[in-house]
Formats: sequence, C-alpha cells, structure tokens
Amino acid sequence: MSHPRKHRRATAALAATIAGTTLALTACGGPSVGAETSGEATTETTDWSQVEPASEITWWSNHPGQSQAVEEELIAAFEAENPDITVNLVTAGANYDEVAQRFQASSQTDETPDLVIASDVWWFRYHLNDQIMPLDDVFEAIDADADDLQPGLYGDYEYDGQHWAAPYARSTPLFYYNKDMWAAAGLPDEGPETWEQLQEWSASLEAQVPAEGSPFGLSLGTSWSAWWFENMIWGQGGQYSDEFDVTLDSEEALAGGEFLRGLFHGDDAIATVSADDSMADFASGLIASTIGSTGSLKGALDAAQFEVGTAYLPDGPQGGGTPTGGTGLAISSSSTPEEQLAAAMFLNFLTNTENTATFSQATGYMPVRTSAVESDTMKAVYESAPQFRTAVDQLADKARAQDYIRVFVPGADALLTDAIEQIVLEDTDPAAAFESITPQIETAYRENVEPYL
Amino acid sequence: MSTADVLAPPQAAAPPVAPRRRGALQSRRRRSALLWFLLLAGPNIALLLVFVYRPLIESFYLSTLQWNLGSPVARQIGLGNYIELFTSRNFTQVATTTVVFTVATVGGAMLLGLGLAVLLNQKLRGRGFARTVAFAPYVLSGFAVGILWLFIFDPRYGLMREVLSWVGASSPQWYTERPWPLVMVIIVYLWKNLGYVALIYLAGLQSVPQDLKDAAALDGASSFRTLRSIILPLLTPTSFFLLVTMMLASLQSFDIIKAMTQGGPLGSTTTLMYSVYQESFVNGRAGYASAVATVLFLVLLAVTAVQMRFVQRKVHYA
Repeated sequence: MSHPRKHRRATAALAATIAGTTLALTACGGPSVGAETSGEATTETTDWSQVEPASEITWWSNHPGQSQAVEEELIAAFEAENPDITVNLVTAGANYDEVAQRFQASSQTDETPDLVIASDVWWFRYHLNDQIMPLDDVFEAIDADADDLQPGLYGDYEYDGQHWAAPYARSTPLFYYNKDMWAAAGLPDEGPETWEQLQEWSASLEAQVPAEGSPFGLSLGTSWSAWWFENMIWGQGGQYSDEFDVTLDSEEALAGGEFLRGLFHGDDAIATVSADDSMADFASGLIASTIGSTGSLKGALDAAQFEVGTAYLPDGPQGGGTPTGGTGLAISSSSTPEEQLAAAMFLNFLTNTENTATFSQATGYMPVRTSAVESDTMKAVYESAPQFRTAVDQLADKARAQDYIRVFVPGADALLTDAIEQIVLEDTDPAAAFESITPQIETAYRENVEPYL
Repeated sequence: MSTADVLAPPQAAAPPVAPRRRGALQSRRRRSALLWFLLLAGPNIALLLVFVYRPLIESFYLSTLQWNLGSPVARQIGLGNYIELFTSRNFTQVATTTVVFTVATVGGAMLLGLGLAVLLNQKLRGRGFARTVAFAPYVLSGFAVGILWLFIFDPRYGLMREVLSWVGASSPQWYTERPWPLVMVIIVYLWKNLGYVALIYLAGLQSVPQDLKDAAALDGASSFRTLRSIILPLLTPTSFFLLVTMMLASLQSFDIIKAMTQGGPLGSTTTLMYSVYQESFVNGRAGYASAVATVLFLVLLAVTAVQMRFVQRKVHYA
C-alpha cells in the first residue's frame, strides 16, 4: 500500500537531489569582483626541504621545433633516473598562443598542468594572473645551477627580483639564404650586412628565382611578425615603446614602418608575403632568402634540396640588433608543493648541460646553458653543421631586449601584428597603421598592467 | 512505494468514492504525476540548466565585468563593454562580414542545394552513389575540410590555380588580398553543407504526391510550371526548416574560419562568432567577449523570432 507522506518525501528528496546537483555543478569559480588589483600573490614561502616530490606530473607543450620525439626521449631518461616520478606529456596546442589560451582557460579548474610552455609574449600575462610561481627558491633547494643558464636568456623572465620561468626552446630570428642561388648570382657566401646590401643584391637574385618567387620573403602572424619587425624598427633608430610609453609615432618608428612598406611595395620592392609559412617557400626554392626562427633550422636543413645558409639579421642605418624569443617553461602556482618540486626537478633535468645540447641538436634552438655552448656535443654539431652556430653568436653579438609593450602588455603583440599586416598587405601609410592600434595598446596597458606594477 | 502502486490506474482500481476521498486521490495522482515528471524530465532539465542556461546567464553577468581570462580578479563596469563594442572601429566590419557570410552561405546553400536535389531526384544510373558523394562532405570535420581546402586554394601551388589556368585566369591571392579570403571561406562552407541541404530537399521532393504531378502533366503544365506552382509551394515547410537551421548554423560557424584564416587577414573574415573566440582566447578579454557573445545571442534570438512570426505564415503545410 502506498503512503502519501512517503510520496511527498520521495518527491521532495528527488527534487532536492536534482536541485542540489544542479547547484553544485553551477557553483563553479569565477573571478572575485571589486578588488582593484590582486596586488602581490600571497607569497607564502614553501620549505622545500620538507617536501617530497610528487609521483606524477603533467607537462603541457606544443613541442616547439617538431620536438615531440626528443621531448619523449628526455622524459624517458628522466624517469629512468627518477623511477618514482612519472611525467605526462600533453600536446596542449599547435603553437605558443594555443597553449597559452588553454592554460588561461584552465585556471580555476583542476585541469592545470604542473609545467607549462611560457613564450616571450605570454609568461608575463601568466604572472599577472598569478598562474605561475617564482623559481629561485625551488631551484636553490634542488641545487639547480641557475648561474650557468645563459644570463641573456634567463634574465628575460625576471620581474620583481624573481625569475618566473626558465629558458627552454629559445631562439633568435635568423637570416636564411639559399647558397645555391647566391652562388649562381655571383654573390659572396654570406648574408647581407645591411638591408641596403640585400636591396643591391636583389637585382642579381631576381634572375635566380622562379617567376612567382622573389629575392626575399616573409610570413605574417601573431607571435611572429612583431618579433622580426623589431630588427627593422630598431635599424631605423625607432622602437615600439620606451619602457611602457608607446613611441610608434616617433619619426624613427615611422621610418621603420616606411622601410617595411618599401620592402613590399613601390618600384624597388624585393619581398613577397608567403601565403602560409615563408620557411616552406624558402625550402621549396620559391624565395631566395627569408627570416626564420632558429627553431626552424633543423626542419629547413632536412627539407631543402640546396645548401642552406644562415646569417645575422641585416642592420639598418641606425644599427639593428636581434630580439630573442622562443619559449621558456614555467611551473603552475596552483599545483601542490610536491608537484611543483617534481616539476622543478624535471625542468632542471630538461635544461641541464647535456640535455639542452641534445634538444638544440634536434631542433636548432639555442643551448640555454653557457656550459652547453662549449660542450663536446655542441662542438661536434657546429663542426658538421656550422649553421647551428649562427644563433649562438648572434645572441652574444647582437641581442637586444625586446620592447616592453610587445612582451608585457597583453594583446599588444596581436595589435602590432595588425599594424604590420596593414602595411604589408594593404600598403597602408605606416603613420595611419600605427595610429590605429596605439589607443588600444594604451588601454590594454592601463587596464591590465599599470594596476599591477 | 512500489511501481505497481503508481502504475495502477486509480479509477480502475477504485469504485466510485466519496468526494473527500476523491480529493485525496486526485492530489495523490497529481503528486505521483509530478514524481514521474521529475524522474523522467529531471535529468534533462538538470543538464539543460547546467550546460545551457547557467553559461547563458553567467555570460550575461560576465559581460558586465572588465575581466581577463585567467585573472583571479575582475572589475564591475556595467554596460562599458557594450558601449565599447558598439563604438569600436571594428564593429561595422564584423557586422558586415557576418551579414555577407550568412546571406551568401544560407542563400547559396539553399539555391544550389535545391538544384542538386532536383538533379539527384532524376531517375538516373548511379543515383545512389551520386547522393552519397554529395552528402559526404557534410559528415567530415570542418577543421579537416578547412585544412584540405587551404592546399587547394594555395595561390602558388594549389589545384585551384591549375583549374583557373585552364580558362586562362590567374589565381587571386586567396589568403592575403581582400575580399578573397572571405570568398574562399564561403565557398568551402557551401561545399561542406550543400549535401545536407540537398538531402533534406530530396526528402521533401519525394513526398510531393505523384497524383498532383500527374494531374499537372495532364493539364499540360510544363515541368518548370509544375516546379513553380506545385513542387515549390509544397516544399515551403522544408525551405522554412532549412532557412531557420542553416541561418543559426551559419551565424555560429567557427571551425572552417579557424582552420583557414583565423579571422584574418586584417579581420576580413572575422564574424561575430569568431570575434567571441578572438576576444576571449586570443586577446584574453573574457568580459568583453561575453558582451559580444550576448549580442550574438540576441541576434540569433531575433532572427529566429522574426522567422517564426513572419516567414512561417507563408509556409504551406500540405
């Protein structure tokens, strides 16, 4: 026999269960509203000597320079040395931007990695969002020789007296040229010292490239164009910003824009835009020279049917220099101390003298330790393929810290890319192109950086 | 409580009863009906609440914040994001691109799809095979389709360049020169969805009664006249269904654009939907992106409401 009471209770219980589940699932985290800034993250210091490394950690990577195989190899070596720690390698995107998007979206969930790719334009945003932790203490605790990391590379991640990432797949842009075409055009076997020289050489290179090709080519895109363009704007004496003050309206910066415009438009234009990747057009012989990342070196050597030459980026009338770039690795602040310790151990292993040399050899990225540059492994590499040496030398001779707004202001890289595309694709007056993005960069700085400084 | 208690039809089990007793019985029945409703519909309602309505409402709320993706803090700015959106330089471009893309893909797919359906409805040899081939692109992943077509459109090595050269035309700069990137994306979207439209139209065509067509033929109607006066009117429910669903799908399309142009160059293929992604994940402006998403939601709502209210009147249900 049924009882109305029981019914009522059952109905109520069911309704409560549904409502409860719904509420529980609904009550996901969101941002806390009201506080102007988060200020400094709660810097509770961990006593690392009391922490045991976790047995399992997760690493989010995009395998820069087609490095998945060598990353897996290095993981296996680490696990052999540390049988109690397992490293899960996750392909978290096809490039730095995709990894960053996923990492940011993962904040406030349980699905965060312990170790994550942190490129030049992203690590500071991770830091602003309190998503990563400083490495100095934990590195000291595990006796990682941080002083041996190339200062120019490790120093890039320093803010507030602490380092927020360690260099991993670090690169500079390189000038790549087709040695066969160079020889056929009667040019010396070297890259041009200045852009002007490339302009002069182009006359004889024109005859060497196919009808659809050009003496020089570049590709566009975020996390890319605004990087190589630093060399050009610096070459004219300009810069994107003086610290955080946007200086795109300066005479020198506009000269940089005009130089870029002249490369692609006008009577003596020597360059074409590559539809997709200029390294592919270079390797197929469509363009005689290009700018590519150090990380593309191994791929280019493998793909090209001709001899590949590498050289420093050319100078402009006011000098030039090269930005450094590529990616470091950062440790998630939301991981447990145990996971953070294990991640630090693995990070230290990945970038030790031997392994950074292995990684460099497999990809073309620069070895991140001073000791590795002169190691036997690298010496042998430079012996057999001297192209690998160019980036390391260029780093020592020509490296210049990137302009603040590109690397520290969220979204500024994409905006700069937009201006560069306007100039390259649509022949827009540089003054108008730069003017169109300046207010947005300034807003982004005011909203997202200034309050945290 | 046993299932039998609930399932047993009470009127069958109980002979006529006194009014008071009947009231109790009725409320018992109501409760048991409610219980069944909750049991059966509850899980679905809960899922809808959690995965549809909650994000929707949360997105309204987020659109009033100045909040960067991943940041633990946010600032309340009321309608600031909406004001910025409607006064931004880019908004006109995004709106125009969205309208062009939607009209071209929906209109194009329906016209070409109808034509294809009429063709596939002929009694020809290999018809089954042709139907399968026509429908196949629809089940492919949009992302994969986008990547494949990128090769085809490559202005230097692509198949399209080859085909165009047969008629003496040179390849446009599909990736870099406006408006070609938008045209390219529209072509691929059409190719992918044509088979679906054709399939639905084909089903509609086959449900047109043969005796009507026979009667028309008897009266000496030309096949064009039959199409215009008999088939098309009878297809209006199909057309209406396609118009609504295709328009919603087109306004929300993302994968092909992401794979082929990433909204570029210079934002020329950035639709409203794509700019939601761009603002939230590329630029990290989750609050602003939520405002764009809310506007998109209102547009979808309005489009659907208008279609339900006005277009449906013209639909001829047989």
